[in-house]
Amino acid sequence: MAEEIKEESQNKEEQSSISDCEKQRDEYLDGWKRAKADLLNYKKDESKRFEAIIRFANEAIVKDLVTVLDSFDLALNTLGGDEEFKTQKGLYLIRRQLEDIMKLSGLERVIISVGQPFDPGLQEAVAEVESDKASGAIIEEVEKGYTLHGKLIRSARVKVAK
Amino acid sequence: MAKILGIDLGTTNSAMAIIEAGEPKILENSEGNRTTPSVVAISKSNERLVGLLAKRQSVVNPKNTISSVKRLIGRNFEDKEVQRDKSWLPFDIQKSSTGGVEIKMADRWYKPEEISAMVLAKIKADAEAKIGEKIEEAVITVPAYFDDSQRQATKNAGEIAGLKVRRIINEPTAAALAYGLNKQKNEQIVVYDFGGGTFDISVLEVGDETVEVKSTGGDTHLGGDDFDRKIIEHLISEYKKQEGIDISSDPLALQRLKEAAERAKHELSTVFESEINLPYITSGASGPKHFLLKLTRAKLEELIKAEIERSIELVEKTIKEAGFKPSDIDEVVMVGGQTRMPAIQEAVKKFFNKEPHKGINPDEVVAAGAAIQAGIFQGDVKDVLLLDVIPLTLGIETYGGVATPILEKNTTIPTQKSQVFSTAADNQTSVEIHILQGERSMASDNKTLAKFILDGVPPSPRGIPQIEVSFDIDADGILNVSAKDKASGKSQSVRIEASTQLSKDDIEKLKQEAAGHSEEDKRKKELAETKNHAEQTIYLAEKSVREAGDKIPAELKDAINQKTEKLKTSIHQSQNIEEIKSAASELSLELQKIGQIMYGQNKEGGEEQKPPQQ
Repeated sequence: MAEEIKEESQNKEEQSSISDCEKQRDEYLDGWKRAKADLLNYKKDESKRFEAIIRFANEAIVKDLVTVLDSFDLALNTLGGDEEFKTQKGLYLIRRQLEDIMKLSGLERVIISVGQPFDPGLQEAVAEVESDKASGAIIEEVEKGYTLHGKLIRSARVKVAK
Repeated sequence: MAKILGIDLGTTNSAMAIIEAGEPKILENSEGNRTTPSVVAISKSNERLVGLLAKRQSVVNPKNTISSVKRLIGRNFEDKEVQRDKSWLPFDIQKSSTGGVEIKMADRWYKPEEISAMVLAKIKADAEAKIGEKIEEAVITVPAYFDDSQRQATKNAGEIAGLKVRRIINEPTAAALAYGLNKQKNEQIVVYDFGGGTFDISVLEVGDETVEVKSTGGDTHLGGDDFDRKIIEHLISEYKKQEGIDISSDPLALQRLKEAAERAKHELSTVFESEINLPYITSGASGPKHFLLKLTRAKLEELIKAEIERSIELVEKTIKEAGFKPSDIDEVVMVGGQTRMPAIQEAVKKFFNKEPHKGINPDEVVAAGAAIQAGIFQGDVKDVLLLDVIPLTLGIETYGGVATPILEKNTTIPTQKSQVFSTAADNQTSVEIHILQGERSMASDNKTLAKFILDGVPPSPRGIPQIEVSFDIDADGILNVSAKDKASGKSQSVRIEASTQLSKDDIEKLKQEAAGHSEEDKRKKELAETKNHAEQTIYLAEKSVREAGDKIPAELKDAINQKTEKLKTSIHQSQNIEEIKSAASELSLELQKIGQIMYGQNKEGGEEQKPPQQ
């Protein structure tokens, strides 16, 4: 009798150590699967990130070059917009050359027409002025806005009607 | 399991991060930026705008554009800070029925927590869009000096935004977490947080699993924006001196100058001189005027010297309040974009006589720390899954006593890597695999872990046998090294139990030794490689002379033999790399003549047609 009880308790012990093992096995297998899945997902994310990096790697330099386009715009404005004058035409062409190169890298100008309502998604208001236009309408584009592969990298600066 | 978001809810900008594979990762917002302006507005067309969009229309809608709400949250209207800020905040505030603050936006009065909630709601939505999962919980940071009411209000803001706030943690504590300093025992830490608009100092004490704030200090109205303003003022006055024109009243010129000043400030953290070049800044009586001025780092530092000195005085005061001396401080952590400035780093380093922690982006370190706290709640940082790295490089000795690394230090284990080597002499039938640990270039300077011999390599000319050596290290750091001759299939291996069993001090010592000797080691390695290369040339010379036999004139043979002897002597006796190199190149020049003769190209007067060397 006593032996039987002993055997039974031994059995129970074995049972519980087996179930412990099973629990551990499941936990480890789960951890392993997760680690493997994490790696695969990481690889997928990484390839997406690489794409983004390639697309936007030149964002900083394009952003800096946009200020050069601004300077050209200011120069052309100051000299008068007439393309027929020699200096202006030269300047105008250099500006276009620069912008064309930047376009190849994904730069696009944000087109704004006077009178359209101000949209803070694409524009930054720098001043409010009295005007006969409807309140909140754009009166003047002070600096052009640009996108790079669809991402706004510089909002247009505009004056808005009071 | 759903991710918990870590949020740094700042006065001017906010940032967010999650834990991914155990590491904090900053999430970009919907505009693609890593920080979001803490600005909320109701536009003229009655739209609610948050972040950059709100900021873009602030000029034309100042009354309904709310910023710096963190200065008001959880405060009483009668607080002197609120009364002071009231004078310069562009929007209207009033006393609420409970004595708190209310802010007017469009035609409604809002509580500060409602405004903060709008920022948090955008952050939540952008994070969900970015990771493609719903986010329900968050850890939000607040300044260490925030009282219960301010903390509660911040927590409420989170709840209004639909986030269950798992914990409000202190910004300096988050920064310390990001640097892993919570694992230290009984250390005093100073967090120096120089942001855009505020300057905070915190003295922390790390005990067992706890981080206690011992004292806080700073100036809520001192920041990088003050630096920008100083630069702009300087530029305006210089331009006035130079051109006699005051551009401070021209809003567009001022805007361009502001951007250029900011850029120059950033540039001057890495270079010593920056040119501010703004063509057509304005037009004078005599036509267009350009802005061209140089700003040096020295000038910049002179402009903001008083601010830096003041910040150090405040540090001194705060440490004193905590009951410490500067020498009691074990770690210094830098937070806030302005701490990139070398002059600030220098001043802090000088004061503490200690290198501050600054490896993590100072704009993102608080959000990263919040994410780490979130990760602890998530249970991502489980001990079972913690993977170790090898502390020191493992490799083998190759020809000339050079240590060739196989597994570089900091490689995550378990891992396996193999590389194919060959023999150094003709008919070599055995190779010795000498396993090394350490960062030095020469085998003899590293630690020997084991040596074994692989024999039975079939006799063949040097460089022909392919012996694959593989290092396999398991999760417990047990290293198995095996070498296998690909031709005969013979292999030999050794098992090293204690490859990572070095104390932290040992590892540090070895690393420092390696760093200290890096120049000398480089030279030794180069010498070994040069000798190695020279011996190959000798081998080639002897082989060519033997094979060419009578096909080449005796005088060339003599010349080659003589140059060979000379090179041999210099290999054995000289430690001068240049000398060996020149002897080797003399020999290879002679050798090229063999080729010219053999191919019958050495016509009369054909001396000029020497083929290019190598």
